[in-house]
Amino acid sequence: MATNEGPNERIDPADDLRRGETWGLRWRTGFDRWMGLLLPLLFAVAILPIADLVYFISAKAVPTLSWHVVTSYSDYQAHDTLGVPLMTTFLFMALATSIAVVLGLFGGIAAAEFLPERAAGWVRMSANLLAGMPSVIVGYFGYFAFVLYFGWGLSFIAGVFTLAFFMTPYVYRTADLAFSSIPRPIREAAYGSGAKPVQYILRVGAPIAFPQILTGVFLAMAIGVGETAPIILTTQPGLLVPSTVFQPAVFMTYLIWTGFSQPAGSVALTLAYQAAFFIIVVVLALNIVVRVVAGRFRKRLQGLYQ
Amino acid sequence: MSPNPVRDVSADREPLPAPSSPTTAGPKRLRFRQPVWWLFAYIPAVVPAAIVIAIAATLLEASHLHNFGAAFFGLTFNSSTNQFGMLVFIVGSLLTAIPALLLSMGIGLGIAIASTTYLPRYLARILDPFVDLLAGIPSVVYGIWAFVVVAPIFGLVLNPWAVEHLSFVPGFAGNSLSPTTAGYGLPISIFVLTLMALPITTLLIRDALQSIPKDLWESGLALGATRWEVVRRVSLRQGSRGIWSAAFLGFGRAMGETVAVAMVIGSTAKLPTNVYDVTYTMASFMFETLDAAYGNSLYLSALAELALVLLAITFAVNLVGRRLVAHIYAEQVAGL
Amino acid sequence: MGVAVALAIVLLLVGLGGGYVWGNSTAKSSSTSSVQLTETGSSLLYPLMTSWAAAYTGATISAASTGSGTGQSDAETGLVNIGASDGYLTTAAANNLINVPVAISAQLVYYNLPGLTGHLNLNGTMLAEIYNGTITTWNDPLILNAQNASLKTALNGLASETIHPIKRADSSGDTFLFTSFCYESWAKWPFGYGTSNLTGDTAATGATGNSGMVSALNSTANSVAYVGISYEASAGAEPNHLQYAALGDNNASTTAGGIVAANYILPTSTTISQDANLGLNGLNFTADQLEISLILGGSSAGPVTLSLGGGGSMPTLASPAPYPIVNLEYMLIKTAPTGSVVTSTALAATVAFLQWAISIGNWASGGTESTFLSAVHFIPLTPAVAGYDMQELATVQP
Repeated sequence: MATNEGPNERIDPADDLRRGETWGLRWRTGFDRWMGLLLPLLFAVAILPIADLVYFISAKAVPTLSWHVVTSYSDYQAHDTLGVPLMTTFLFMALATSIAVVLGLFGGIAAAEFLPERAAGWVRMSANLLAGMPSVIVGYFGYFAFVLYFGWGLSFIAGVFTLAFFMTPYVYRTADLAFSSIPRPIREAAYGSGAKPVQYILRVGAPIAFPQILTGVFLAMAIGVGETAPIILTTQPGLLVPSTVFQPAVFMTYLIWTGFSQPAGSVALTLAYQAAFFIIVVVLALNIVVRVVAGRFRKRLQGLYQ
Repeated sequence: MSPNPVRDVSADREPLPAPSSPTTAGPKRLRFRQPVWWLFAYIPAVVPAAIVIAIAATLLEASHLHNFGAAFFGLTFNSSTNQFGMLVFIVGSLLTAIPALLLSMGIGLGIAIASTTYLPRYLARILDPFVDLLAGIPSVVYGIWAFVVVAPIFGLVLNPWAVEHLSFVPGFAGNSLSPTTAGYGLPISIFVLTLMALPITTLLIRDALQSIPKDLWESGLALGATRWEVVRRVSLRQGSRGIWSAAFLGFGRAMGETVAVAMVIGSTAKLPTNVYDVTYTMASFMFETLDAAYGNSLYLSALAELALVLLAITFAVNLVGRRLVAHIYAEQVAGL
Repeated sequence: MGVAVALAIVLLLVGLGGGYVWGNSTAKSSSTSSVQLTETGSSLLYPLMTSWAAAYTGATISAASTGSGTGQSDAETGLVNIGASDGYLTTAAANNLINVPVAISAQLVYYNLPGLTGHLNLNGTMLAEIYNGTITTWNDPLILNAQNASLKTALNGLASETIHPIKRADSSGDTFLFTSFCYESWAKWPFGYGTSNLTGDTAATGATGNSGMVSALNSTANSVAYVGISYEASAGAEPNHLQYAALGDNNASTTAGGIVAANYILPTSTTISQDANLGLNGLNFTADQLEISLILGGSSAGPVTLSLGGGGSMPTLASPAPYPIVNLEYMLIKTAPTGSVVTSTALAATVAFLQWAISIGNWASGGTESTFLSAVHFIPLTPAVAGYDMQELATVQP
C-alpha cells in the first residue's frame, strides 16, 4: 500500500508494481500449489484400475490355488492342474528368449558397430516398425511362414519362433542403444590401443553394456509372456510337456483365451483365472528386476563421466 | 588454456552422447574379408527388416491384390452378398484411438510432470513402476476385467449420468438404442485403450522431461518463475520432440490393440449414432472374423487388404514417432 | 554382479532340466505308450470333447476351442487329427475328409423381460426380423399375436420398449445355427445361410462367448439372445431371471393379422430328440448322401425339413411338433494318412476314438444317455446316424 505521509508523499511507482506483483505472485504460486496437489492425483487414474484388475484376478485365482494345483502334471483338461502349462510356458520362454537374444544381440551390435550409417538407419527403422506391429499380424505371419510354408504344423517350435520374432526388436533396440552410447573416449581408447572389433566388444563393450542389455532382455520376456494372438494362431495346446519340438504345447495365455468363455465352475474357467494370475505375477517380478538392474546401471554409468 | 578458476560448465550442459553419431571415432565402417563375420554380424542385423518385408509380402499374397474398387471404402458390409465395405472399421478405429490418445496424453503429461517436478524423488521412484506395470498386463486379461468389472459401471452409472447431465452436448444425448445398461460401446473402449496407451505416453514424456539439462530448470526458477511456469514455458518446449513422439507411439498402440477392445466394443458394423453407441475397430474385426472367412476367398482377400491398411497406418505413425526420439538416449525407451 | 547373474542362469538351467525330466516321468501314465491326438474347432463341442478326452484311455487327446472355420481349415490342411465343426463341410470329399456326426445339440433363445411369467412364443420369422432390425419393439403386432392372452396383455404393457438383440461377436457355430434358422424362416433374411459371424448385422450388439451372451443378456434390459443348450444352467443362475422362449416351427400357417404358428415348443430333451429322430430315422444315408446341417422341427401342419449344407431343404416325414433348432455336431477326419500329424497310427487311433465316442460316449450301459452328454445337455445320436457313422469310419484307410 502506498504510504500516506501527508501531502508530500511521493508515489513510488514501485509500489504499484509490488501490489500487482503481490496479487500476481499469489495467484501464480497458488496455481502452482494446486497443480502440485492435483497432478500427483492423476497417478490414481493409472494405479486404481491396475490395482482393481490385480485384485479381481487374484480374488478369483488365489482361493483355488494349492501346491498340488501348481505342481501336478495330470490332465489339465479334466482337472485343475497347472504343472504342464507352467513347465511348457517356461520352456517356451526359455527357447524364445534364447533365439531373440541371439538375433537381437548380434544384430544390435552389428547395427551399432559395423553397418554403414545408412544401412543401420534402415535396419533400426524396421526394428521399430516390427515392435509397433499389432500382434495379430505377427501371428498371422507366423502361421503362414512357420506352420504352413516351413511345414512345422501347429507346434511348439512354430510358436517359439513367432514369439522370438516378436521379442527380437526389443532386444535389438536395447543392444543397439547400449553399444551406441558407450562413451566416445572409451571407444576411442580401445581402438586406439589396437583392439580388434571382437576384443572391443567382448572386453570393453560387453561389461559396460551388459546391465542395459539385461534389462532389455527382461522387458522382452515380460512382453512375450503375455502374448495371446500369435500363440493361438501358431500352436495347438498339448496335454504333455513336449518332448520334441514338433509336438503340441500349451502356453499360459492359451488357457486364458479358451477358458474365460466356459461356464462358471468349469475347470477351464478356473484355469483361465489362475493362468492370468501367474502371468501378472511374472510380469510384476520381471518389472521389479528391471528396475533394480536399471537403478544399479544408472549409478554405474555416472561413474564413467568423472 | 588460461587457468580459469570458474569451472567450465559447458560440459555439464552436454547431454549424454548421441547414439552412433557419424563423428564417432574408430573403425566405424569396417571392411571384412573373412566370411564368418557376415554370419555373425550382418545376417542378424537384417533379420528385423527381413521379417517386416516378409509380413508385408505375406499379406499382399493373401490379398491376391484383388481390386475391390471404391466399394472397399464404402459403408455396407455383408459377407453373404460379397459386399466388403470397410469404412465402418476404419472410422471405428479412429473414433476409439483418437480420444484414447488425447486422454492418455493428457493424463500422461500430468503424471510425468508430477513425477519429475512435484513429487519428492523417493515417492516418484515408488509410483513410477506402477504406471509401467500397466504395459505388462496381457491384453486378454484387460478384456476380461473390462467385460466383467468395468462394463456394469459404465452401463449402470457412468453412461446414464452422462445422458442425464450432458445431453445438451451434441452426441451425448442417448437414444432408444444406446446406451444400454450393458455398458459396451465407445466409452468403455476408449477407457481401455487409454489405460493401454498410458504407460507409453507417460514413459516417453517422463524421459523427455528428465533429459532436459538441469541448469535450464534452475535458471527458470532463479528468474522467479514457479515450478509450473518453468514446466510450461521451458520444459515442455525443450521436450516437445519427446512429447510428439509419445503421441505418435501411443496412437500406434491404440490402433493396434485387438483382444481387449474386441470384448467390449459391441462388434456391430455400423457407424455410431451417438457417443455411447457400439461399433467395430479394424483390429478387433480382423481377429474375430478370420474364422468365418476361411471358406470364402473374397472375404480372406478383403481381410488381408484391411490388414494392409492397418499396417500402413501403423508404419506411418511409428516411423514419425521413432524419428522424433532418435536423438534421445533413454535406456527404457528401448523397452517399449 | 556378474557372479550373481551367472549363478542365476545356472540355477535356471538346472531347474529347467530337472523339472523337464521329472515332469515327463510323472506325466500321464499312458503317455509313453499311447498316441497323442490333436483336435481343434467348434467351441460348442469343446466342453464335451474335453470330458470325452478325459475319460478315453486309448489315446491322449488335446482339444482346442478355436471355431468351426478353423476346425475345417486345419482338418483340410492336415494340421490336426480331428476338426470339429457345427456345420457340414460340403467340400469334404474333395479334401479327403469325411464328416462324422458325433452328437446332437440344440440352441435356445433367451430373453430378458423381467416381470413376465411363463415363456414367450417366438418363431423364426420374428427372430429374423428382430435381428435384421425390421421389428424394433416388443409390442409389435407380429409378436403380440403369437402369445396367449395373459402374456399378450403383459407384453402390450411394455409400451414400445426397444428390443436389443445380442449376437456372438466371435466366430461361432451358434451363430451358424441361428443364421441357418433365420434363413429358412424368412425369405428376406439378408445375411445368408449359415455364416459363423453376423458382422453385417447392424441391429445386434456383440458379446464374446456363450457366457458373454448370458452376461450381456443379464445386463441389458429387454434383450434377446441365442445361447447353446450347454449354458442353460448358467442362464438360469443369473439374477435377472432370464427365460427361454418356446419356439414356433418353421411351417407356420398364416392367418389374417399376422403369423400364428400352430405349436410353440419348449426345449426339453423329449422335444429335441423327437426332432432328431423324426428328421433322421428312415433316411438312407449311403444312397442319398445327405448333407445335414440343421434339423428344423415340423408341425402338425407340415413336415420336418432338413436344412442342407448348400442351403436347400428337403422335406421328409410328417410329424408332431418337435423343437426347431437342433443340429448335428460333426468331426472331420482324413480318410488316409497325410503329412506328419495324420500318421497311420494316429489315424487308426482317431478312428478308434470316434467309434468309442459314438457308442460309449453317447450311450451309457442300460440304454440311457451317457453322463458326458447329459452334463452338456446334448442328446445321443439316433440309431440311423450311428449306423451311418460306422459305415463311414469303415471307409478310412489308416
